[in-house]
Amino acid sequence: MTPSLLDPEVLAKLASLKLRARAVAEGVLTGLHRSPHHGQSVEFAEHKEYAPGDDVRRLDWKAYAKFDKYYVKQFEQETNLRAWLVVDSSGSMGFKGEEARLTKLEVASALAASLAYVLVRQQDAAGVVAVADRVVRAVAPRAAATHLDAIVETLEKLAPAGRTRLAAAAAHVVEHAPRRSQVAVFSDLLDDDHAVLRELAQLRRRRHEVTLFHVLDPAELEFPYEDETIFVSMEDDARVETNARDVRKGYLAELTRWREGLEREAAAADVEYVLCRTDRPLDELLVPWLARRQRWSA
Amino acid sequence: MRLAFGNPALLWGLAAALVPLAIHLFFRRRPREVPFPALELILRAKRENERRVKLRRVLLFSARTLLLAAAALALSRPRLEHATAATVAPRGPAATALVLDASASMRYRLGGQPLIDRAKADLGDALAALGADEPATLVVCAGPPPDAPPPGYDRAALRRALAEAEASYGHADVGACAGAAARALSGDAFATMGKRIVVATDLAASAWRLDAPAPTVTGPGGTTLRPEVRVLDAAQGAPLPNLAVVDLTAEPDLAAGPRAVRVVATVASYGEAPAKEVPLALRWSADERAPVAIQGFVDVPANGTAKKTFTSAAGPATPGGDARAGALAVSLPPDALELDDARVAAISIPRDARALVVNGAPSTRKLEDAAWFVESALASPASPVRPSLADADALGEVRFADYDAAFLLDVHTLGAKAAELRSWVEQGGGLFVALGPQVDTDLYAKELGNLLPPLHVVKSAEAVEGRASAGARLVDLDLSHPALAVFTGTAEEGFLGARTQRWMLVKPGGAQRVLARFDDGSPALLETRVGRGRVILFTSSASRAWSDWSIRTSFLPAMQRFAAYLAGTLDPRKPTPTVVGTPRELRLDDGAAGRSLAAVVAPGGREIPARALARPAGSAGPFVLVPDRPGLWQVKVDEGGEAKLDPTLAFAVVPDPREADTRRVDPAELTAWFGGESHAQVAAEARPEREVPLWSILLVLAVAAFFLEGLLVA
Repeated sequence: MTPSLLDPEVLAKLASLKLRARAVAEGVLTGLHRSPHHGQSVEFAEHKEYAPGDDVRRLDWKAYAKFDKYYVKQFEQETNLRAWLVVDSSGSMGFKGEEARLTKLEVASALAASLAYVLVRQQDAAGVVAVADRVVRAVAPRAAATHLDAIVETLEKLAPAGRTRLAAAAAHVVEHAPRRSQVAVFSDLLDDDHAVLRELAQLRRRRHEVTLFHVLDPAELEFPYEDETIFVSMEDDARVETNARDVRKGYLAELTRWREGLEREAAAADVEYVLCRTDRPLDELLVPWLARRQRWSA
Repeated sequence: MRLAFGNPALLWGLAAALVPLAIHLFFRRRPREVPFPALELILRAKRENERRVKLRRVLLFSARTLLLAAAALALSRPRLEHATAATVAPRGPAATALVLDASASMRYRLGGQPLIDRAKADLGDALAALGADEPATLVVCAGPPPDAPPPGYDRAALRRALAEAEASYGHADVGACAGAAARALSGDAFATMGKRIVVATDLAASAWRLDAPAPTVTGPGGTTLRPEVRVLDAAQGAPLPNLAVVDLTAEPDLAAGPRAVRVVATVASYGEAPAKEVPLALRWSADERAPVAIQGFVDVPANGTAKKTFTSAAGPATPGGDARAGALAVSLPPDALELDDARVAAISIPRDARALVVNGAPSTRKLEDAAWFVESALASPASPVRPSLADADALGEVRFADYDAAFLLDVHTLGAKAAELRSWVEQGGGLFVALGPQVDTDLYAKELGNLLPPLHVVKSAEAVEGRASAGARLVDLDLSHPALAVFTGTAEEGFLGARTQRWMLVKPGGAQRVLARFDDGSPALLETRVGRGRVILFTSSASRAWSDWSIRTSFLPAMQRFAAYLAGTLDPRKPTPTVVGTPRELRLDDGAAGRSLAAVVAPGGREIPARALARPAGSAGPFVLVPDRPGLWQVKVDEGGEAKLDPTLAFAVVPDPREADTRRVDPAELTAWFGGESHAQVAAEARPEREVPLWSILLVLAVAAFFLEGLLVA
């Protein structure tokens, strides 16, 4: 079978983030159109003149009959959508389990860029915040098509370095997002501050919609190592020498425990948690989530 | 206990056990560095599993080391040996002679295993314990001591000879065999070596003649040395109780009937406990599958004997169809030593013989009727023949061939029956002739020819000092004659008291044998052999006419014994048994021409042709056979070009009664005989297992270590 353009291994061969994002976005949009999910029903707010790309299911035929023009319905929350895409660019995000794969940062960047592409395409505002131990870069949300280039450029310049401290991103959003926004966090959550979700819960208290995209490589999830290995930290000088076979079972147990803890805390904080394996097609990661938010489609 | 190795060279393989250590120390793969984001998770896992991981590593290392070490050790075939096994060859190097007691008693089954097998195993261990520089030889003691070959270094040949050795059925003097072993060790070839004799035996006392000199070795310069002796008890101190039939006799018992045989079996018990109600079975055959004719019971005291008597009419004739000979067997229930639980005897079966009494002078007055006296004697219950009476005038219907013996009593003439009578005698018939007034000497000479010596005048007893003679007495009784052999002591008086007034003078020739005379020296009883038959002549009358012998006490038994003798039921041949391993002469003694020995048939059917038998006295002398097993041995006779069994020549071979005696010699006595504890050691106690093989245990350990390693790796 011909690998899909959305296959991470294929995407990895696309050097340009823009191309990757576009490919993913097209896939997302295609997927959205096929998706059976129609999103939540919200209150009708107003009509908007139809533009190519809008969901034809939203066409108001009565309005067409009246005005002989195509209008789509917009709902209450569709208007003035602002999205903050937080991308973890700490050292740990530079990990990839196999040479042929994308790093976690590349996947996170592709996901963020794809989302931005979809949002801007739908004339919603999207911005990006790159964070490591501090906010590395930030681009405020805008709805202009040209803004997409700025987002992509920002993401492309990211290099994995530093430790992980998502609280900085949360503080930045709190400071720069006076209104309710969608906040999507793309991170491996290997935060120094183990109470990372507490920080993110702050955003939720300020009425922001927060989604955690937990980006992990299959090697982190399966630990396919044998023999004596020296594991080297990607964020500091720490090293651990051990027989990988000896610790596999314990590591996987710890990983499960940690992830379950994150899921519980996310649920408790009303933060959506999505596991993103870097070996899965990226549209598969986004489509279900987007479909649940039908208001995102135009 | 000591540890010994079958393949010590393979112990080098133990070095393989160092491989896991060497790999751990010198050949560990350098760990590769892997950048990994979730180091903390690894750390937590490592901290939690550290102890378990360390334990697993230690176990894995141990399992791998154990696997290699156990495999290498197992290949070297270690074993734990008992100290006594090692002392079989205590001080060396020494030239060694192994003596295996292969006498019949070694067939004793102890714990289901014959003692010979245990003895062979003991000698095998002794051979294996010898050093490569110690020559050895083997003496298999199955009978007379053999000439042992000098010691050599060919172990394989000795092991083969040991494996092929079997217990014999005969007696062996183990002490003499030890002497043969000592002679094999003598000489200058092994002058610088010690001398050692190892004997494996059941310590049966009958195998050791402690009154004979103990074996010694001739050393260099003709010096006499006592060898080092080790005696290994195959029974390991266990008692060997045994019941055996040690004797069996069988004789005709005429008092019990014409075919009656009186069988006396002697049973011996060699054990500390008496044997009560031991069943004893009598069969009229040497075949143990034949039905039991009589079963009796006997009580045998501890270490004693008891006799059991059976009297019965003899059973069926032998398969050859001859009614004159047969076999019988008496048997005990099988015990640990089976070969002495039964004994066979060859017997002559008394025939139901018929005698014809021809009355030449019938008289109404019994005292004058010779036939009345003779028939009365032969008609008594103990008579060996059944008499039939016929007058001399009425012989026309008589067929002499229907009778085994005939009595002619004062017969004047036989007439036309004379030729038949002569032919009958020549073919084996027995004739008794008593004279009297009716006898015509010329007619006798003409009709009976050479059956009788020439008869002359009748003589009367001489008067003494004018008084009528009391009569001639019978003297010079030939008691060596089978018919007269019983008339010894007071029985002879029954003959000597007879008085004869008149008798006929005869001149015996070379063919006659005088059995008794009158006191004037003239023959009274004579025997003539004619062809295969016999003729006995009484030169007086069987009635009171000429002699009063008929009213003497000797007359009845004499008539019966003469009848039996003439009928062939008082055959001087009495089959005598032969002990296994003892030479027996075989000859055809009936004097018939055209008969020769063809073969001897052993129990079980093995045929030994006559040409394979020894004839030490030359072609005219008897054959000599040394039978090697007990049972009924039969003889095939070549007669007229046809070889067939002659049951009358069958003979029984019996086990040597010494081998039934399983009582053991005192080990201290035997040690002293060999020269004391400085020279000899008699291992008569139970020995623990000679060796405990460890290689199988090590292999199990190796397999267990292999699976443990697999589990730990998994």
